[in-house]
Amino acid sequence: MSTRVPDSTDVAAEALSPGSRRRRSLSWARVWRASAPYWLILPVVAVMAAVLGYPLYKLVTLSFQQYGLPELIQRRGVWVGLDNYRSVLGDEVFWDTLFRTVVFTVANVGLTIVLGTLIALLLVRVSTVVRVLLTGGLVLVWAMPVVVAVQVWYWMTNFQNGVLNYILTQLQVGDFFQHDWYATTFSKLSMVTLLIVWGAIPFVTITVYAGLAHVPRELVEAAEIDGAGPVRVFRDVTFPVLKPILLILISLSIIWDFGVFAQPYLLIGASHVDTSNYLMGVYVFIEGYAQSDFGRGAAISLLMLVMVASLSVLYIRQMVRAEDVR
Amino acid sequence: MRMRKIVAAAFVAALAVAATSATGASGGSAANTLTVWLQVDAQSGWPDVVAAANAQFKAANPGWDVDVQYQTWGTHLQKFDATLAAGNTPDVIEMGNTEMTKYMAAGAFQDLTAEKSSFPNSATWLEGLAASGRYGGKVYGVPYYAGSRVVTYRADLFRQAGVKIPTSLNEFIAGARKLGTKNSAKSFSPVYIAGTDWYVAMSFVYDYGGKIAITSKGKWLGTLDRPKALAGLAAYKRFFNASSRASKTTDETRPNPYDVYAQGNAASMIGPGWFSCCVGDYKGQTAQFVMPSHTKGQPIPGFLGGSDLAVPLGGDKDLAAAWIGAFTDNTSMTALRAKGNIPNTTSLLGSSVNERAARRSWFVPTAKNWVNVENGNILRTMLSRILTNKMTVKQAAEVASDNITFTLNQR
Repeated sequence: MSTRVPDSTDVAAEALSPGSRRRRSLSWARVWRASAPYWLILPVVAVMAAVLGYPLYKLVTLSFQQYGLPELIQRRGVWVGLDNYRSVLGDEVFWDTLFRTVVFTVANVGLTIVLGTLIALLLVRVSTVVRVLLTGGLVLVWAMPVVVAVQVWYWMTNFQNGVLNYILTQLQVGDFFQHDWYATTFSKLSMVTLLIVWGAIPFVTITVYAGLAHVPRELVEAAEIDGAGPVRVFRDVTFPVLKPILLILISLSIIWDFGVFAQPYLLIGASHVDTSNYLMGVYVFIEGYAQSDFGRGAAISLLMLVMVASLSVLYIRQMVRAEDVR
Repeated sequence: MRMRKIVAAAFVAALAVAATSATGASGGSAANTLTVWLQVDAQSGWPDVVAAANAQFKAANPGWDVDVQYQTWGTHLQKFDATLAAGNTPDVIEMGNTEMTKYMAAGAFQDLTAEKSSFPNSATWLEGLAASGRYGGKVYGVPYYAGSRVVTYRADLFRQAGVKIPTSLNEFIAGARKLGTKNSAKSFSPVYIAGTDWYVAMSFVYDYGGKIAITSKGKWLGTLDRPKALAGLAAYKRFFNASSRASKTTDETRPNPYDVYAQGNAASMIGPGWFSCCVGDYKGQTAQFVMPSHTKGQPIPGFLGGSDLAVPLGGDKDLAAAWIGAFTDNTSMTALRAKGNIPNTTSLLGSSVNERAARRSWFVPTAKNWVNVENGNILRTMLSRILTNKMTVKQAAEVASDNITFTLNQR
C-alpha cells in the first residue's frame, strides 16, 4: 500500500476509474486523515469552552436579570432586560470612577513602560556581574505574591512605625514623623501606583531586553559614527525594532492596570474604599458583591470589557497606522 | 502510517477522558464533620471555651468531628455569599447582630422556632440580642454574647499623672491633657481612638440626643445633619484632638488598639471589654472603667454590639442546634463573662464594668440594608473628612445623611 498522501491528480484518476467500491473506501480514509487535527484539538477546545465560554455566557445572562441575595439563595433570577445597564450608566459614581481609572491606567502604563525600557537599556550596557544581579533582583520582584507585597508595602508606609517615614525624616527631606500616606485620595492612589509599577517593571524589562538583542549593531555603530546622539539612536534605530514588542506590552499593561483589584483593595483597606477613591476593579466588587447586587455587578463587568477592548483597539490601530505611513 | 495516526489520536482522546475523570474524583471531606464559622474574636479571646464546647459535642455524638473555621468581620459575608451560591454552607455561622436582618429577609437561615426551648436559658435571653435573631415572628438566630464599649486604662500612668477616674467628658479631657504633659513622646496617645472608629463617634452622637436614622412615613431618613447629632460630632472631634495621636483616617483594626497599648504608646483605649486579653506586659497595671457621658455621673451610651449563631440553609439542623446548645450553656456563658463579655442571659448578669456600661446603649437602625451602609464606609468617610478638616462637620454630616437615606431605602 502506498504511503504517499494522495494529491488532486490521484483523486481525478480515481474518480474516472470504474472501481466504485475502491473509490468509496479511499474517500473515507481521506476524511479521516483530514479530520485528525480537529480530533486532536477537541479536548483543549472543550476545556476552554467550559472554563472561559460558560462563565462568559452566565455573566451576560446575569447582567439582564435582577439577582440579589434572595435570588442567589433560590438560584433563580428575575428577567429585567436593560434595567441594570440603565441604572449603571445613569449613576454618577460610575462615570467618576471611569474617569479616575482612565487617568490611573495612563499613569501606570506610562510609568511602567518608560521605566521598564530604561532599565532594559541599562541592562545592555552594564558588566555581566551587575546584569546577573539586576536580573536576579527583577525576577525576585516578579515572583513575590501580590498579597505579600501589599502587606510589606503597608508596613513600610505605616503611619506610626513605617520605615519610609523614618528614613525621610532622618535624611532631612522634611518632617515626615507620623505622616499619613493614606490621608488624601491622590496620596492613596499614588501609593497604589508605586506598588503596581514596581511589580510590573520586571516583565516589561525582561521582554524589552530580549527584544533589544534584535537591534542590528552595525546600524547603531553607523549612526554613532555619523554623529547621532544616544536619543537620536534610540528614536531612529532602536525604537522601530522594539515597536511590535512595545505594542504588545502596552496592550497587556492597559488590560491589567484597568481592571486591577488586589493592590488598591488591600492597600487602601476594605474599610477605606469608598466612592471617592474607587477604581473600576474595586467598584465592580463593592457594587456587585459586597452590596449583593450581582446582576448590576455583571452589567458593570461587561461595560468594563467593552471599554478595555475599545481602548486597546484604538491604541493598536493608531500604532499600526503609524507603522504603515512610515 | 495510517495505523500509527489512529493509535495516536485514540491515545490523546483516552488521556483527555482520564484527565477529566481524575479531576472529578477528588477526595471528599469526611461526611461526619460539623463545619462551624466563628469570628477571630473567639480565636484570640476565648479559645478554651470553643475547645470545651467541641469536646462536649464530640462526647455526645461519637463519630462526629467539629471543624471550626475562624473568619474576619470584613470578609466573612462575601465568603458566606459564595457558599450560599455553591450550596456548601457551614452548619453553624456566627453573624453580627447588625448583619442578621439582611440575611434573614433573604431566607438564608433555617427556622429554629421549634428548637428554641431546647437551647439553654432561652426563657431569659437578653432582649436586645434575641430581637436581632427574630424575623417575621420566627427565630433564626441564637444569642451568643454582647459587649458594650469600656475604657481600658493603665492604672500606673493615671496615678503618676494624678488623674482620677473621670465622671464626665470634660473631666476626661482634662485628665487626658495631664497624661499628655506627663508622657510627651510624640506618638503617645492619652486615649487611643482610631480616627474612623464610628462605634465610639456615634456614642457621642447618641449622648447628645442625636440618631443615625429614623423611619418616617415608611421610609428611612438619615438624621446625622440635625442639630443634636452635629453637637455630638463636634464633641467627638474635640475629644479626639485632645487625646488621640492615632491616624485620623485609619480604622480600629489597622492597627489594633490593644497592640498600640501593649507597645506602651497609649495610656488608655476605648473598645470592647475583651481588649484586656491582649495588653502584653501591662496586664498587672490594667483596669477598666465606664466611659462617662458629657452629663456628669452618667455613662455614655455604648454600642451594644453582639453576635448571634444561626444555621444556614443546607446545614444539619439537629446537630448544629446541639453544638450551639453546648457552646451557649451556663459553663460557656460564665467563662465568656469572665473574659469581659456580656452573657446572653439575664440570669447571669452581674455588675461588671461591661454590664454597667451596657445600662445606656444604642443600636444601629434595624434596616434590611444597614449592612450596605457599613460596607460602603459611609460613616467612616464622614469621620475622616471631619477630623482632617476636609469638610466642616455640617457639610460632612449632610453628605453622609443623604447617602444613608439613599442606601437604606434601596430595593
